[in-house]
Amino acid sequence: MTARFKLLLQLALRNLVASRMNIAIGLLILSGTMFFVVFGALLQSISKSMARSVVGSISGHIQVYNSTSKDKVALYGDLTGGAPDLTPMTNFPQVKAALLGLPQIAAVVPMGTDNAVITTGNIVDVTLEKLRDLVRAKTQTSLREDLNALPSSELDKRIGIQVAHVRQIIKVLSTTALRSKEILSDDAIDKDAAAALARVSEDAFWNGFQAHPNEALEYLENRIAPQVTDAQLLYIGYLGTDLDAFRRVFDRMEIVDGTAVPTGHRGFLIPKFLYEDQLKLKQARRLDLIRDALADGKRITTDPDLRRWVKENREQTSDILLQLDAVETERVASGLRALLHSEEADLGALLDAFFNTNDDNFRARYQYFYDKMAPVLTLYRVRIGDILTIKSFSKSGSAQTVNVKVYGTFAFKGIEKSPLAGAMSMMDLMSFRDLYGYMTTDKKEELARIKEATGAKQVTRANAESELFGADNTGATATVDSRTITADQELAGHNRLQRIDDLLNRTYTEEEIESGVALSAAIILRDPTRIQSTIGQIDKLSMDQGLHVAAITWQTAAGTLGQLIVFLQGIVLFIALIIFLVALVIINNAMMMAAIQRTQVFGTLRAIGAQKRTVLTMVLLETVVLASFFGILGVAAGAGIVALIHHFGIPAPNEMAYFFFSGPKLLPELTVGNVVAALGLTLLVAIFSTIVPAFIATRVAPVRAMQADE
Amino acid sequence: MSPIVKLENVVKEYRLGDTVVPALRGVSLEVNKGDFVSIAGPSGSGKTTLLNLLGCVDTATSGLVEVAGQDTAKLKERKLTDLRLRTIGFIFQSFNLVSVLTVFQNVELPLLLLNRDSTAKRKQLVLSLLEQVGLDTHAKHRPNELSGGQRQRVAIARALVTDPSIVLADEPTANLDSVTGNSILALMRGLNESRGTTFIFSTHDLKVMSHASAVIRLADGQITGREAPAVAINHAIAELQSAVSQVTP
Repeated sequence: MTARFKLLLQLALRNLVASRMNIAIGLLILSGTMFFVVFGALLQSISKSMARSVVGSISGHIQVYNSTSKDKVALYGDLTGGAPDLTPMTNFPQVKAALLGLPQIAAVVPMGTDNAVITTGNIVDVTLEKLRDLVRAKTQTSLREDLNALPSSELDKRIGIQVAHVRQIIKVLSTTALRSKEILSDDAIDKDAAAALARVSEDAFWNGFQAHPNEALEYLENRIAPQVTDAQLLYIGYLGTDLDAFRRVFDRMEIVDGTAVPTGHRGFLIPKFLYEDQLKLKQARRLDLIRDALADGKRITTDPDLRRWVKENREQTSDILLQLDAVETERVASGLRALLHSEEADLGALLDAFFNTNDDNFRARYQYFYDKMAPVLTLYRVRIGDILTIKSFSKSGSAQTVNVKVYGTFAFKGIEKSPLAGAMSMMDLMSFRDLYGYMTTDKKEELARIKEATGAKQVTRANAESELFGADNTGATATVDSRTITADQELAGHNRLQRIDDLLNRTYTEEEIESGVALSAAIILRDPTRIQSTIGQIDKLSMDQGLHVAAITWQTAAGTLGQLIVFLQGIVLFIALIIFLVALVIINNAMMMAAIQRTQVFGTLRAIGAQKRTVLTMVLLETVVLASFFGILGVAAGAGIVALIHHFGIPAPNEMAYFFFSGPKLLPELTVGNVVAALGLTLLVAIFSTIVPAFIATRVAPVRAMQADE
Repeated sequence: MSPIVKLENVVKEYRLGDTVVPALRGVSLEVNKGDFVSIAGPSGSGKTTLLNLLGCVDTATSGLVEVAGQDTAKLKERKLTDLRLRTIGFIFQSFNLVSVLTVFQNVELPLLLLNRDSTAKRKQLVLSLLEQVGLDTHAKHRPNELSGGQRQRVAIARALVTDPSIVLADEPTANLDSVTGNSILALMRGLNESRGTTFIFSTHDLKVMSHASAVIRLADGQITGREAPAVAINHAIAELQSAVSQVTP
């Protein structure tokens, strides 16, 4: 048996080089295998990089959530774009303890994602609020202690500056209104708005400000502020998590601006990408984008995007104009006049000229903007240290609001430029629970305080009637509380602010953070290859201990993004399938011809006593040898190409690709799996395409041997 | 002594579309062990068909074909193949050596299919046969490095290596010059005598016929006589002369 096999093998090896057809088939196999090695390595690297991006920036290797939830965890949102319907895990501490009992689990981080709205007030609101604070400090007491301490003369000076700024804003608005009058028909102009604008433009209005500042402020807030449309409603996705644990575990996260949220504090962190892209002054952002594009070798003269940005910067100068008060306006204008050698008085026209950048003057203008103009401008709508009001709709549909301090911005190393990685803000778990509508320790305390103050007590359903209407049930008697409501004490913002202040400065222990609910938890494994087996163990653990948790892979947890990966893999598989089919047909054809050419050999073998299966083995073995030989050559060639690509790296073509490449460059690597898969597939295709020719070979009648050679 | 091959009233017909072409029309024949028989006849007389039936590579339309005591019509494909392997050796007109194997490997091939002997035994068998056909020095050559005569010697060695009862040779000298053809026949005859192997070979060459112990003459699918070579040659010459006189005015 072995000797016969050896001979068949030898036959196969010799036939390998004996026929040109075999060489042709071999070259086909070689290029096919090479293609699969390279393609496979690229695909795997993308898949791996993406895994690194997803796993390292948010999901961990496995996500666990309450198994009674309607949906699965979808960290990047589900296909409908909404947040998935998850039932909270109320037993998180128990779940965590149980999970950490598995030796392969390195860490468990509680989390939850949701969407919220952030409102950044418009520039008039902001200016008017400053003015109101100053006025209040002068007339009664301001909420701001620092202002109350100022002498009256200083307050007057500051009020003067703010009034000048408001009047400057009105001037800008009037100019804009004048321009729209030229374009719009009379019907399209809001007459009330125009009248209001006309009134506040007059000196008479401002002369009255001294005497009745509150009335004037109210008029400005109600009639003028709505005319400025730069207020922004920003929809953000956020991740509520144990920020300390998150930073410990997801070590790719780094703070870019500001600081991390201090241990145990409530706080908010904004992704650097979002911060730059959405919250930065538009002109500054576009200048940054143009600078980056120029660094990448693009030119304003040739690139339509860059030209559009230049155009937008020239046209949308009101953001800057509104920010500046009269003094600053003149300072910026005179600077620009000197820079541009212009006599122009109007800052709007000067800014138009300044932002009219081209490939030659861009660098100088960019430098000038950041050196001279940026210091007097508010570059970001939200500044580090601001207290942000975040509004979200809880599951029951009621709007919840929390105030959190912005401590800084963050990014994930390697994927700083990715919009996907930079989409999700971060919030402490306590604020998240407040926002999501869960009972937190603070809320419990507040409820207890209210109960105590009002004398409310828990009433059960069974004795509700007797408790509410008296045991004898003879009728209800209402006792009137004669306590007076002191509006100042109850409603003044002072107490409210005090409470916010308390919350913001309060430190929570790790126990407090973890003892509440969590929507899901990220699990970090010591060995990332053991995801599937660990999921099995978690399921078992959940069953055994009644934890009611379900575990899913990071890929599933990534939601839409995970499906995108599956979709991409599907496309690749489809392409592979087509290539396979084509290769199958070609190899099959070639093998068929080879079989037909060799009918006399098969006939002779059959005549001298070879059984059909011997002939079958011989032909298949030949294919296996052929495919292995050229397949290995193909793997070697493919490995060479992969090494070459690895050496140079494939640069990410756009910002989106940063996430898929998990950095600026894709560095594909060959794995044993790649090689085995490529060789295995090659063999499979080769054997598949030889089955029919091999059977044809067995069908050659032995009498064929007797016929003279043609 | 029972015959090693026995044919009784064998008919073989080929179908070419709608027409039935008779190749053998009621052939009866017996060959005994150790015979050195030639089947003679002009082209199209049915020589190859007869050999195919004897070699179990084809089956009769009707009649009995018995090889080594077995009725071939009753054997399944696998058994028939096995019968060929163990009982019959083939020598082909165009040698049919496997071009990618060496002389040694070509001769060893049937032994490997037989799967009976140890490596050492196989080596000994192959080399001894190669010595008998005078090619022991060419064991490592490839067929394309040999002359026609040498190739046919390799084929003879291959046919004999399993020590079959019958060796069938279809026009073994057709592709050789007359000197080489003679030496091949002499070799076959020598092996027939030394080993007692039955040889049945077809030919239309009178000189080749002369080596045979008996000549079975075939014409139009029927046996016209079984004679000593000299008689058969005379018959053949007479037939040839009458054919010549018919075309000469």
